[in-house]
Amino acid sequence: MDLMEKLEILADSAKYDVACTSSGVNRPGRPGALGSSVAAGICHAFTPDGRCVSLLKVLYSNVCSYDCSYCVNRRSNDRPRASFTPRELAELTVGFYRRNYIEGLFLSSAVLGTPDRTMELMIEALRILREEYHFNGYIHAKTIPGADPLLVEKIGRLADRLSVNIELPSETSLTTLAPDKKKTAILRPMGQIAVQSAQSRREMVLYRGAKPFAPAGQSTQMIIGATPETDRHIMELTEGLYKKYSLKRVFYSAYLPVVADARLPALHTAPPLLREHRLYQADWLLRYYSFTAGELLTDEEPNFDPYLDPKCTWAVRHPGFFPVEVNTATKEELLRVPGIGPKSALRILQARRVQNLGMAELKRIGVVLKRAQYFITCRGKAAAHGSRAEIANALLDPKAFSVGIQQLSLDDFVPKAMPDAAPAVQKLAANGMAADTAAKTVRQEALQCLTQRM
Amino acid sequence: MSYTANVTDTAYCYDGSFAGFLCCVFESYTRKEIPAEVCPPEEGQLNLFGTRDIPTDLQRARRVAAGLDRLGWQVKDRITTGFLSTEPGKDLTLLRFARLCFARGPGAVQMLGDPDAAAAFRLERAVNNEAGKLIEFIRFEEREGMLGAVIHPKNRVLPLLRGHFCSRLPDEDFLIFDAVHGMALLRRGGQVQYLAMEHYTPCTDEAELNWQQLWKRFFKALTIEGRRNEKAQMNHVQKRFWQDMVEMRGEPSAHS
Repeated sequence: MDLMEKLEILADSAKYDVACTSSGVNRPGRPGALGSSVAAGICHAFTPDGRCVSLLKVLYSNVCSYDCSYCVNRRSNDRPRASFTPRELAELTVGFYRRNYIEGLFLSSAVLGTPDRTMELMIEALRILREEYHFNGYIHAKTIPGADPLLVEKIGRLADRLSVNIELPSETSLTTLAPDKKKTAILRPMGQIAVQSAQSRREMVLYRGAKPFAPAGQSTQMIIGATPETDRHIMELTEGLYKKYSLKRVFYSAYLPVVADARLPALHTAPPLLREHRLYQADWLLRYYSFTAGELLTDEEPNFDPYLDPKCTWAVRHPGFFPVEVNTATKEELLRVPGIGPKSALRILQARRVQNLGMAELKRIGVVLKRAQYFITCRGKAAAHGSRAEIANALLDPKAFSVGIQQLSLDDFVPKAMPDAAPAVQKLAANGMAADTAAKTVRQEALQCLTQRM
Repeated sequence: MSYTANVTDTAYCYDGSFAGFLCCVFESYTRKEIPAEVCPPEEGQLNLFGTRDIPTDLQRARRVAAGLDRLGWQVKDRITTGFLSTEPGKDLTLLRFARLCFARGPGAVQMLGDPDAAAAFRLERAVNNEAGKLIEFIRFEEREGMLGAVIHPKNRVLPLLRGHFCSRLPDEDFLIFDAVHGMALLRRGGQVQYLAMEHYTPCTDEAELNWQQLWKRFFKALTIEGRRNEKAQMNHVQKRFWQDMVEMRGEPSAHS
């Protein structure tokens, strides 16, 4: 089998892994080595599904001895199988990297024989890359659940970021769908990585020559929509992971049916993209806006509103918190205003040190006022007055009602509901209503509902 | 401001160099006036104002540069980066911003509520954003051990690409050709040069084409059809970058 075919098979098998970030470590280039990394991460291409390609994301091998029912690479699935050799993989990475196609390597693998053997092969590939090719770019490696802690330590010395996939949001789901994987086998390496990474960070401050261990931290991912967990359950799990294992990121992947199985959603079920989007929005609120999971979702409302983003939902539920005076509010208060994010908040804080801010100044600063204007005051005066219906109209998330011409084909100019529009819109459109009328109808209903709630 | 300068209806014409621009700032102080326009040679052939030619005097330019240096790196970066922009009227924006900085000190960078400061901020951000995009989307091809790339940027971003690629590829020779402005950044044997350049012939070496093919196949294999969303793709990679990107060029956007 030639390299091109192998690459195609192993990239195709790896594409359902969501994480493709190259962030978290700043490492300038040095003579004699190839590459550098930038803490903010760099994306190099975007595929037609709108996802970024930052790293050469491949499996080392897709010959798997496990049989997890949600996975394309499970043992019982009939599909072409291939494995790289460590040297092939290293050469490929360097070739792509020099041409500025990628930011580094994302190496994962199916369980080739045993977890230990798989990890050994992955480590060999990374060792060649780091030691023989002097590759100084970004490497993200996936640890295989159940591998020996010594191997985890070895791979952590070579990679920038490690990840262990939690796969499904609860242990019951895991035992039903992935009988070969155990909860402890997932959480143990996660704990080990957290401890060693923190330890190496302390050592690096104290001693020269201390070796970094996964300097960009660790991340994880889970599949949503394949099992019945609520958003509240998922958010609490996420918050726990951030706190307990100091993860850098938790990724969510909307379940895309790849197999017919009575335990899973039927084939042709659309992936819950809007739900995935809401979870990411909430995830950002946890990490950058100092919200807690308990504030975002309650027992009465365990799932996110499809028509309203989580921050607006919180604002609608807490009218007493507003209005916020832009000239005196703290950063945390500003961050709770719908429409003001970390960038706007920072610019407001800096600008108000030298001048008093009114509406005109806010506009010049670049604060998006569409939603924010109803929640702030400038010099004690309300920035805008609006009836409930007007405010509700500004708050509704346009993404939930997005309609457009998706495929650029010649004979198909009929607008369709976008893949990440609200399920209600998709359903009406699927039942034969024109997509834009469907979106309008659903929006009207959502608007009425929201106006009454306020 | 410490004193208000007249806004006059003369236009300053200068030679388009950065030193020339600094001389315009100098002139505006000696005459206690703010011009109605500041025109590099490519603009300002047609205008309604009286024009004044500003000669480039290196000594004057150095005095203004030293003054800007004293205002800190943020002011300096905003003006030097903003100057790489090709937006019409950028010179006047930067001159007004420079005056604001001299009057209010380094804090002027943060006065985004002020129209001049906000305009200068926008200029700098636009140039930096474009340079950032190119750092992502440049595609090198290898020819006789040297890497080459073509870009079509709106602004003169080559100086902003230099640091990133010199740090990333410390032992490589490379050339980045800006086809719009006819300039190239050449790094050979650890030395960096900016050259005027006319054409660039794409590489037809078989090994290189094979690498490009590998990359295209990889790119195609990564796409998840069930999540197809071309609008999102277009939001991230604007169409104007496509012509220089191997995987976006050629075959009509990989439909099957």
